[in-house]
Amino acid sequence: MVAKTRLAMTMAAKKKVLFLGAAGLIGPYLTPGLVGDYDLRLTDVKEHPDGIEVEHVDVTDYAQVLKAAQGMDAIMNFTVNRRDADLSFHVNTCGAWHVMRAAAKLGIRKVVHSGPQAVRFIYDHDFDVDQVPSRPSTGLYGTTKLLSAEICRAYARTHGIQIVNFLFNGLHDPPSGPIEGRDFPVMSVVWDDLIQACKQALELESVPGGYQEFNLHSHLGHEKYSLERAREILGFEPRPNMAEFYRRPVREVA
Amino acid sequence: MRILLTGAASPLGRAITDELGEGHQLRLFDPEPIDADERHEVVTASLTDVAAVWSAMRDIDAVLHTGEPPAQLPADELARDQQLLDEATRGTHILCKAAVEAGVKRIVYGSSLDLFAPYPEDVYISEMWKPLPTPAMASMSRYLGELTCREFARDFHVSVTALRLGTLVREDEVAEQTPDLMWLDPRDAARAFAGALERDTSGSPVWSRRWALYHICSLPPNPKYLVSAAAGIGFEPQHNFAANWRSV
Repeated sequence: MVAKTRLAMTMAAKKKVLFLGAAGLIGPYLTPGLVGDYDLRLTDVKEHPDGIEVEHVDVTDYAQVLKAAQGMDAIMNFTVNRRDADLSFHVNTCGAWHVMRAAAKLGIRKVVHSGPQAVRFIYDHDFDVDQVPSRPSTGLYGTTKLLSAEICRAYARTHGIQIVNFLFNGLHDPPSGPIEGRDFPVMSVVWDDLIQACKQALELESVPGGYQEFNLHSHLGHEKYSLERAREILGFEPRPNMAEFYRRPVREVA
Repeated sequence: MRILLTGAASPLGRAITDELGEGHQLRLFDPEPIDADERHEVVTASLTDVAAVWSAMRDIDAVLHTGEPPAQLPADELARDQQLLDEATRGTHILCKAAVEAGVKRIVYGSSLDLFAPYPEDVYISEMWKPLPTPAMASMSRYLGELTCREFARDFHVSVTALRLGTLVREDEVAEQTPDLMWLDPRDAARAFAGALERDTSGSPVWSRRWALYHICSLPPNPKYLVSAAAGIGFEPQHNFAANWRSV
């Protein structure tokens, strides 16, 4: 295992990071937490929901990816298509190949990837689940993302690119106050924790084998999807433990 | 049996046609036109043509998906690799999805032993070893196709057999050449497809019985790639390049 001490905690010069999918369902929530520490090149194929300027980069076009990756220290690939039978392959699988090919060509040593989370509901009856065999099934998202992860592995082995892949089953704001009468969600992560994990991945010098997948969630207690490796290798810890918002009031019996 | 054969114009496809043509009805699917025996049907289309694939799946009992790339690929390296990737992933997904929705119970896929090239020479490679595909698209795409097929065995009641094939060379065309541990005569590869065709575990409730994986290669005097598991589908190579090995 790589110790936390491998984290380069000082960021004297801002790393240049290409952010693919910056205007998608995840990107806009991550950018505010990263922009102070990194020199971000925000890119997407659509307008940013908050009107922030993004460069048009279509991950299905290798020339565009290669051009956008010039001069970058790292790439964060948060592009995804879940439903279109053709685009899901073009974006999730071929797009991931374009990213890895560009990283290899340009000597970029760090890529942050995401998905597929293919454990929820399959392993919900188990505990301490981590690094289990991937069971993505034949759905477009699961298949195309599984293939993208295999492409990442091949490039990590061959070109020494360090790849961190995050697995989670939902993203949301933290609760605004105590929540009574229900349990906390499984394997879901709040925005600040994903920002924390992205920073840790970007600062980490290397990961074992060049490619590692990490469960991420913000709620401690179920002991179901394990965070142990994320803790040991990344230094990840939910801040605060969001499970604390879900406490049953206990009153003294008269 | 009514069989849909993809990559039918490739040397492997032609060898399979020769092996199975007498006893089965073949529908030969390839982007290249095929001058075929009138007993067989020909479909000239790409695997990524959804309508053509669905149409070709009508009344089919089994699919033999050779995994062979189209003969006509772009000269430009990027465009060629993009097409190889797309055919192996999206094309395989389209094919398998059409197959299971049409009620096909048997799928056989042609993968590659190239996945084990990074391993040293002094090991015996069986099906238990972890594949190590490199980014070279010709071999990586075959592995991605294999993974795509595997998920259909997991999700549906269909037998899926992956054959990881050695390097295809006809024994009579490589006389006096230095032999290679991965050589495989296309006629033996075709026999492996014929053997895998007989396998039907589609009724098993256990997905790992619906899925099977075999290494298919010739048998040199001191083999690196072990093929003993493939005896389970009746595979016994007839072309072992003995003359080539005697000369080294």
